[in-house]
Amino acid sequence: MKRLVPYIALAAFASVPLWLHDPYLLNAFITTGILIIAAMSLNLLLGYTGQLSLGHVAFFGIGAYTSALVSLGFDVELIGGIRVVHEPWPVWTGFVIGTLVAALCGYAVGKLSFKVRGAYFVIVTISFAEVVRLVALNWVELTQGPLALTSIPPMTLGFPGVGYLDFYSKQSNYYLVLAVLVVSYVVIQRLVYSRVGRAMIALKENESLAVSVGIDVTRYLVLAAVFSAGIAGAAGSLYAHYLKIIDPDVFAFLYTVTMVIMVISGGKGTLAGPIVGGLIFGFIPVAARSFATPEIQWILYGLLMIIIVFVLPKGIVPAIEKWFSAPNTSVDPEPLQAKMHDTP
Amino acid sequence: MKRAHGLITGAALAAAMSTALATGAAAQTIKIGVNEPLTGPFAASGTYVVNGAKIAADEINAKGGLLGRKIELVIEDNKSNPTEAAAVAEKLITGDKVPVIMGAWGSSLTLAVMPKLMEYKVPMVVETSSSSKITTSGNSYIFRISPPSSVEATEFKSIMPSLGIKKADFLVINNDWGRGSAEDFGKIMKAQNIQVGLVEIMDQAAQDMSAQLAKIKATDSDTIMVTTAVEQLTLVLKQAAALGITKRIVTTGGSQNPDQLIEQAGAAANGSMHLTTFAPWYPDKTPDPAATKYFLGEWKKRGYAIAGATESFRGYDGIRTIANAIQRAGKAEPAAITDALWTTDFAGLNGQIKFQKQGPAGKESGQSMPNLYLIKIENEKIVLSGS
Amino acid sequence: MTELLQHIVNTLILGSTYALLGIGLTLIFGIMRVVNFAHGELYSFGAYALYFVGVMLGLNFFLALIVAVVLGCFAGALIEVVLLRPMRGADIDTTMLVMIGAMIVMQNGEQFVWGGVAKSVSTPFPELPLVIGSISVSWLRLFVFCAALALIGVSYLLINRTKLGKAMRATFQDRDAASLMGVNIQFIYMATFAIGSSLAAAAGALLGPVYVISPQMGNLASLKAFAIVILGGLGSIGGATIGGFLLALAEELGAGYVSSGYRDAMGFLIIIVVLLFRPTGLFARAERIG
Repeated sequence: MKRLVPYIALAAFASVPLWLHDPYLLNAFITTGILIIAAMSLNLLLGYTGQLSLGHVAFFGIGAYTSALVSLGFDVELIGGIRVVHEPWPVWTGFVIGTLVAALCGYAVGKLSFKVRGAYFVIVTISFAEVVRLVALNWVELTQGPLALTSIPPMTLGFPGVGYLDFYSKQSNYYLVLAVLVVSYVVIQRLVYSRVGRAMIALKENESLAVSVGIDVTRYLVLAAVFSAGIAGAAGSLYAHYLKIIDPDVFAFLYTVTMVIMVISGGKGTLAGPIVGGLIFGFIPVAARSFATPEIQWILYGLLMIIIVFVLPKGIVPAIEKWFSAPNTSVDPEPLQAKMHDTP
Repeated sequence: MKRAHGLITGAALAAAMSTALATGAAAQTIKIGVNEPLTGPFAASGTYVVNGAKIAADEINAKGGLLGRKIELVIEDNKSNPTEAAAVAEKLITGDKVPVIMGAWGSSLTLAVMPKLMEYKVPMVVETSSSSKITTSGNSYIFRISPPSSVEATEFKSIMPSLGIKKADFLVINNDWGRGSAEDFGKIMKAQNIQVGLVEIMDQAAQDMSAQLAKIKATDSDTIMVTTAVEQLTLVLKQAAALGITKRIVTTGGSQNPDQLIEQAGAAANGSMHLTTFAPWYPDKTPDPAATKYFLGEWKKRGYAIAGATESFRGYDGIRTIANAIQRAGKAEPAAITDALWTTDFAGLNGQIKFQKQGPAGKESGQSMPNLYLIKIENEKIVLSGS
Repeated sequence: MTELLQHIVNTLILGSTYALLGIGLTLIFGIMRVVNFAHGELYSFGAYALYFVGVMLGLNFFLALIVAVVLGCFAGALIEVVLLRPMRGADIDTTMLVMIGAMIVMQNGEQFVWGGVAKSVSTPFPELPLVIGSISVSWLRLFVFCAALALIGVSYLLINRTKLGKAMRATFQDRDAASLMGVNIQFIYMATFAIGSSLAAAAGALLGPVYVISPQMGNLASLKAFAIVILGGLGSIGGATIGGFLLALAEELGAGYVSSGYRDAMGFLIIIVVLLFRPTGLFARAERIG
């Protein structure tokens, strides 16, 4: 039965555009879906290696900017008078390059900052995101700074001579986001259930023990950071080509906060957690719009965050699993993982 | 923020219900979407603009409405966030079925809304944003009543000789507005053989500009051109005074709220000059004195801080521009309103509202050219010194 | 030369308030292991408290300052008891999320109560600045500098010379051992958070009149406070003090001689560099959280 849940969920999500015709709600599904992908990538770091990256939005934004710039073209003069001119490339190459560049940044940041842990890691990642934001804001020649990159083309798949597929409508964007979400889910699942994943969980559980049995800490952490950053970058690319404009606000701390809320409320270290948490926190603002004034909407949002953490400190998904597995004390891998969070 | 349309926004939760309700309500009222920042960093300004918009709506309804129907503002908060601004536009157009929108204060917010206007072919009156990209990117649903910095700079050219500037430094906010102003005013000055010295920028959220000002203090310029909104401007004036800077300060951009400056910066505001598009202190010098007096009277009657008037008049003018177009269109439909907006010609609070074509041929945007006034603060009083 | 001197004077004044912010956070961070995202909100709470007491109730400016600090202390204690005490033993990111929630609620609560339009507070100090040669500084800022230095001194004495301070230091070094020795950990945590909060509120109340008071003023303050704490190392008052001045210096010189657009990036760049070469901050004893 439990095995079927992801397929049932997938079928349900795939059917959404068939019965939901309100463009505003479909738009909310798409933007929420993009943030869920980013949250899933954050979960890979936070939930499976225990490292809290509060600069995760940097990878999202780097993916967005890279993808947009690849498909729009640019003309920059670097220090020393070297001029770099780039003609616009097909949009799908932007998506690929955006993902790769974000992954590369993940490698660099992972390599450098896994020297520090805990609270220090949190601050290094925040600092990284702030510096990237300020570069995007001030390197006007490349990023147009606060003037924003506009007229970003919609996602397009295809090759010259074969034909093109344009993702312009809401429906097509919805399926595009759903497809990327499913691929990310599978990638993360494969990673977590592989040798690498077990090593990561062992690390989180007891680092010194893991090291003593020969697990190369930095290698696995960096690997997780690379995949995590790459997936966040892919989400950023989807965002840029869906919204069609990006400005340095994509690096806003608020987006990181949103991702963290989605992961922790849903249940970190569970595959479904970010999706459940994401749907809840993606749609609260939509629902609250109808009955509360703007400030009250935010206050409700903040209160709900606090309440969820108070009532379900492990998150919603582990709580549900516990509920279902309680009568027949069967040993599931998921609750075991949840228990690991108790380690100080 | 009291909202009168709770019932209708509530319907956005369920698609089917929303369609039914919206068409039901449309028979009674003409809806105008308002997409403004009511929370987040731009909350204060967005709220001012919305207050101005409400005065216009109430005035129109008190006079019997439009085409025999009342108008209804559907006000939504875009949270000072481009993603939300685009989502709100989507909601207003598809959920509330508004035929026209006013918004979205900041340039990045407006730019994010623009693809939605193309998608649904709904016009938007832009009341505040200043980025030149807005009217030059080929979006024929954009009608802007605020001047971009290039227009402001061009109009400033005729005032400039009276100031006798020899060399100017710039201190601008780090966004499209500040950077655009530095560029456009710099260009005009260079053409008049005025030297342009430093161009210093300050982060949107920055509260301490002492470092930038200390740098400017040490130059041989005689004038500092400042572009930012009132809160930061207050700080710039106070901090410049604290550093003993005696250079002339001229501010641009029209979000200065001189009354608030006097109230909050006190003596530090003395001697500063401000380029503004609306002169509520001299109603008789405005294009339509009766409207100016009515607006200011209402503003006071509702107990709003007078300081907000120089920002909120844009909301008032924006809604009046839309209402004027709907009246002439004879029906509240997007295409008819778009056509009618092109033939707009009436006296707004800050000049004749009349749209000129800008941008690539065939898909031009509309840009109105408001008046420009230079005012000076002397002994904590506002004096008109050029227009 | 004049410009450099003016930058240095600016640095001293700005740095003293940065230090105040940093000390409050470093105590909470170091002793309680809480990444306190609401720190900036207690800063703006202090500023609004000053506005309420000093302007709306019309109390004397100096008395209002003291009231604002006391209110900040109570607000901190309340937050600790209501939000943090039930979360004892939870991991660092869970409590952090609670504090982010508190930040969102407080910031929008402020906007709900006071509106988005910035408030300003007038002070009894003369508006004309003090001019010494080519250097110029406002009397208000001079007062802020002195008051901040005094508060830094008081916190130093509190931690190093009182019984409470001794218990706090003991808790910082080894919570369990301190508890076994009869230290009331619950009380120490509450006191720590209350002291940290009152320092943030003091910084807000002192800077409110210098700048303007708005609901968003806490955002930048939080980020800067984190930067200072990392520079100085967790739990080190001396480190946070030097970190505060260092950050101010980097910002002033960065804006003055590099580019004003990157002014706020300076602090973060320093953090990255510092952490790469000295992962425990510039001044901390070997101590790690993990």
